[in-house]
Amino acid sequence: MASYDSTYQPGARSAGISGRERLGEWIDRHSGTFFIAPAVTMILIFAIFPTVYSIFFALSRVRFMPEGLKFRYVGFRNFAKQFFGSAEVHFLGRTDPVSIFGMVLFAIIVAAVLWWLFRSLRITTWVGMLGRSISAAMAIFLAWILCASLLSGNAIGTLYTTLFYVFVGCAIQFVIGTGLAFLCSQPISGKNFFRVVFFVPLMITPLGVGYAMKMVADVTKGPFEPFLKLVGLQDWVWSADAWSARFIMVVCDSWQWIPFIFICMLAALENIPRDHVEAAQVDGASSVQIFREITWPQILPVAVTVLLIRMIEAFKIVDLPNIMTGGGPGSATESMTLNALYIWRANDLGSSAAIAYLLLILTVVVCASFFNYVVLGQIRKTRA
Amino acid sequence: MGEFGHKASVRFENVEKSFGAVQVLENFDLDVTPGEFVVLLGASGSGKTTALRILSGLETPSAGSVYIDDLNVTDILPKYRDISMVFQSYALYPHKTVAENIGFPLKVRQVGKDEMDAAILDAAKQVQLDGLLERYPRELSGGQRQRVALARAIIRRPSVFLMDEPLSNLDAKLRGHMRAELKHMQKSMGITTIYVTHDQIEAMTLAHRVAILEKGVLQQLATPAEIYNDPANLFVAQFIGSPPMNVIHGNLDGNHFVTNGVRVETTVSDQVPQAVMGVRPEDCQIAPPSEGTLAGTIYTNELIGDHALVTVDWGGDQISVKASKDFTGEQGDKVGVVVPRDHLFVFDESNGQRIR
Amino acid sequence: MSDATYRFNKANRTLMQRLFEAPAVGKMSPASKVVAYTLLIVWSAFVIFPIYWVVITSFKDAAAVNQGPYYIPWVDFTPTLDAWRTMFTEDPHCNFTAIARQFWLLIYNSLVWIISPVVSFAPMEPQICKIYLAFTNSVVISTFSTALCVLVGSMAAYALARIQYAPRFGNIMIFVLLLVLVILATTYLGAPWWASATVALALFYFLARALRRHFRLSLGNGDILFWIISQRILPPIVVVIPLYVMFQAVGMLDTHLALILLYAVANMPIVVWLMHDFFANLPVELEESAQLDGATRPRIFWEIVLPLTRPGLAATTLLILVLSWNEYLFAVFLATVKVQTMPIMVAAKNAGEKGVFWWEMCAVIVLMIIPVIVMAILLTRFISRGVLLGAVKG
Repeated sequence: MASYDSTYQPGARSAGISGRERLGEWIDRHSGTFFIAPAVTMILIFAIFPTVYSIFFALSRVRFMPEGLKFRYVGFRNFAKQFFGSAEVHFLGRTDPVSIFGMVLFAIIVAAVLWWLFRSLRITTWVGMLGRSISAAMAIFLAWILCASLLSGNAIGTLYTTLFYVFVGCAIQFVIGTGLAFLCSQPISGKNFFRVVFFVPLMITPLGVGYAMKMVADVTKGPFEPFLKLVGLQDWVWSADAWSARFIMVVCDSWQWIPFIFICMLAALENIPRDHVEAAQVDGASSVQIFREITWPQILPVAVTVLLIRMIEAFKIVDLPNIMTGGGPGSATESMTLNALYIWRANDLGSSAAIAYLLLILTVVVCASFFNYVVLGQIRKTRA
Repeated sequence: MGEFGHKASVRFENVEKSFGAVQVLENFDLDVTPGEFVVLLGASGSGKTTALRILSGLETPSAGSVYIDDLNVTDILPKYRDISMVFQSYALYPHKTVAENIGFPLKVRQVGKDEMDAAILDAAKQVQLDGLLERYPRELSGGQRQRVALARAIIRRPSVFLMDEPLSNLDAKLRGHMRAELKHMQKSMGITTIYVTHDQIEAMTLAHRVAILEKGVLQQLATPAEIYNDPANLFVAQFIGSPPMNVIHGNLDGNHFVTNGVRVETTVSDQVPQAVMGVRPEDCQIAPPSEGTLAGTIYTNELIGDHALVTVDWGGDQISVKASKDFTGEQGDKVGVVVPRDHLFVFDESNGQRIR
Repeated sequence: MSDATYRFNKANRTLMQRLFEAPAVGKMSPASKVVAYTLLIVWSAFVIFPIYWVVITSFKDAAAVNQGPYYIPWVDFTPTLDAWRTMFTEDPHCNFTAIARQFWLLIYNSLVWIISPVVSFAPMEPQICKIYLAFTNSVVISTFSTALCVLVGSMAAYALARIQYAPRFGNIMIFVLLLVLVILATTYLGAPWWASATVALALFYFLARALRRHFRLSLGNGDILFWIISQRILPPIVVVIPLYVMFQAVGMLDTHLALILLYAVANMPIVVWLMHDFFANLPVELEESAQLDGATRPRIFWEIVLPLTRPGLAATTLLILVLSWNEYLFAVFLATVKVQTMPIMVAAKNAGEKGVFWWEMCAVIVLMIIPVIVMAILLTRFISRGVLLGAVKG
């Protein structure tokens, strides 16, 4: 039998506690601070500070002087310019004249939103009500711009170009990405090959994607030139028409981002307990029934979360239109980030910051609404 | 509880299954008569679950065929086999209520709503779940989930019932209770049941016949009593019984088993140089040191409750004996162990087969 | 109780069923097989074609690009290595000594920034091997920023998973107020930034201490986590202008450190979000047992927690590596000359006066995506094992 006489107490071998041990203990006692402080400090300096700083840019007229930047307070003039002033058409699009159809549709949307707001009076607290009012206000504003510009046959501005990229892009990407993920979750051979191939575009820099797509979509020297000629479209230039240019942007954006949806949904599909599918098979469900009854409800929470992440990233789109069309024709493919970038190049720092801020507000309200009303609901359903 | 309309027979014929280079089921034959309760018993990796999955159609055998009621079902989909299955994890759909879970097999068969509701209520009543129909699986206890899985299996009145370790996720007390209920239910419904488990008590208590598998090979198929009293080989002998059978290595010389200088008389007679003697702890007795077949010292004495389990050290090997609960021997005391001649099993060590 | 049984009858399987129903579990029906493989192959072609086009273009010469589309090397055009040769030899200083000297300067300048008031930057070579410089810049910036980001981010994620925080709402309000005042002072009143920052920090310290007892409302770990993760919503364009001004003020414009810090912060939400999930799912008993054995928190984190989350850590690291390798917007604003990264190198090929040299640009793009494809293959392994799924589940 071994003897258990010796113990291993801290400080047992040398009398007293050394300075090193005391330091270690001090660090241990304050480890809560030490663990989180670097991250919080970095975020405060490089994210929060510039965000707040940006407000002052947006509220000022900023000029480069030899001794540094010169700020002059101009109130909300930079913002007002986007809504009512010289940049209105560029930002919001042409909102005049409004068609009857637009008017009616707007009225219907406003009624629906107000009814939703009225109904939620009973079910939420005043904080929830405040949030819902903000969502409702944003919805009504966006609905008005939509009805007055696009639905009345007028040109849209960078605001709706961005929203077009976000909503149409995300919808296309979600459908195709989920479809591909479903295919790859089936018993097919060569699964690993498809998985890697389908994933690769996500990893390529958006800039590289932009140039690659610019080459591929080139109508005179690109690879599709003979095919266009074959179907009699040799004179068609996609970059000359606003909607075809926007649509090509969405296609190229989808090329890059479908892999994201694909890979997340595939992981979700493969993570469904095998038992569940097998039990359904023994119970006699067909593959369509299994998908509708078992698989889909179980991946829905992941699906909406993935969609939210994709939406957040989609609002930041800039590289593709910058490279492929330079925002053209006119400003048809300009996203809000690209708009801000061009204005910054023109040395109007104030307006640039204002547009950036509008983008931030738009992103936050849309994504927070989606998170609160859709994602949380799904997550609660699975957890409650 | 009414009897089920149809009881099917089940037959495995030379079924083989390998995953790549690993053979999990070897030349498997099994005949189950209608209404019988057969338990496939084995350790993990013995191929018992694979056999069940082959019968359910979730796995296709590499060779051989499976028959349900003389219909060769080897190559048809699970849904045409008229079977239902209870999974080890229960496989309850988390997003469906208890009622929706139970009714799912009928839903995919497009049964009308009224008929379905009646059938759900009926099945739920049979497993005493009728108050919980609107709950979700996560709001149920382990035993209740088990009942939902059972109800989902019985609702469409299959001709064969498959269960894959259905009780292994329950705690010990509930397991005993559910075991009794399962037995009762099977008996009153009279449905052909194939049941997979690694628990010998479940196998012994539930089964009409037990099939013991090891490394993909069927070791013995017999009633629980036969398995216990008349094991076919060393593996079965050691697998069944708690505490496990004592195993002593030596050689068989005529009708005496010789080990470590001790000669034990047996009922069989042969010349086997490498033999194994097996004797169950409950068949041995503690005796004074001079009177036993073997003599040694007590290694430890554990009081279990209705009996005491005494481990005796004799000449470098140990033998455990079930003694009366009043036995008061202390660690280190000298005792003898009586090994009764009629309860000795002798096996050939080279192939594990019983010498009869 | 009715005696109805519910059976499918195999005998009357229709032709449609034979076509659309799988022959066995784990197999596909003939019809769905045809559809599935067609779709998969079509999509593979759609995905691969642009990449293929970039790769073959990098082996074309001016004529092959400008005279219309040519598709297959050796069949309709003769591949050349011109673009690749130009890329590595366009500058006279593309020899080993120049590259070694360049590398030394890179490290030197990165280190010297910290003591820059005392020691001045070493001037970079006027004519350097641009592609080499860009590649090293990209490697240095993305690896260091990834390391920093993953380390700092997982420390915070771990702390948020295990240690209870309760920052007072009032203190946060004071902080924001002081921040606004500092910016007001520097922008409109022209106060030096370092002076106002110091005053504000001191003020914050004393105010927070003095008023601590009066603030009741405090936030929890969930709020902090949400705050960090929600930083990802911030469009880079919002912060890039102030950051430009900020880095200019401290002389960090066009340095590696600036980009390293910035990328680390930009990707921090992702690290915290993913790693928090891994840490929260670890059994806490391991850490408690280590604590009883006398290990300190940092030691527990380093020796027990991090090794346990190795797959998650590896996957997260790969993801962040790719994101910082590809970043363009910050780089184009903040890295003007010396620390140009690969994406900027690509964009620079667009700026020539004689039109775009597509073949040269494609060579740069290919060089840039080779490491990324390797990482993609590694990452798919992790993702297919479900490593990153936990976080997405919400």
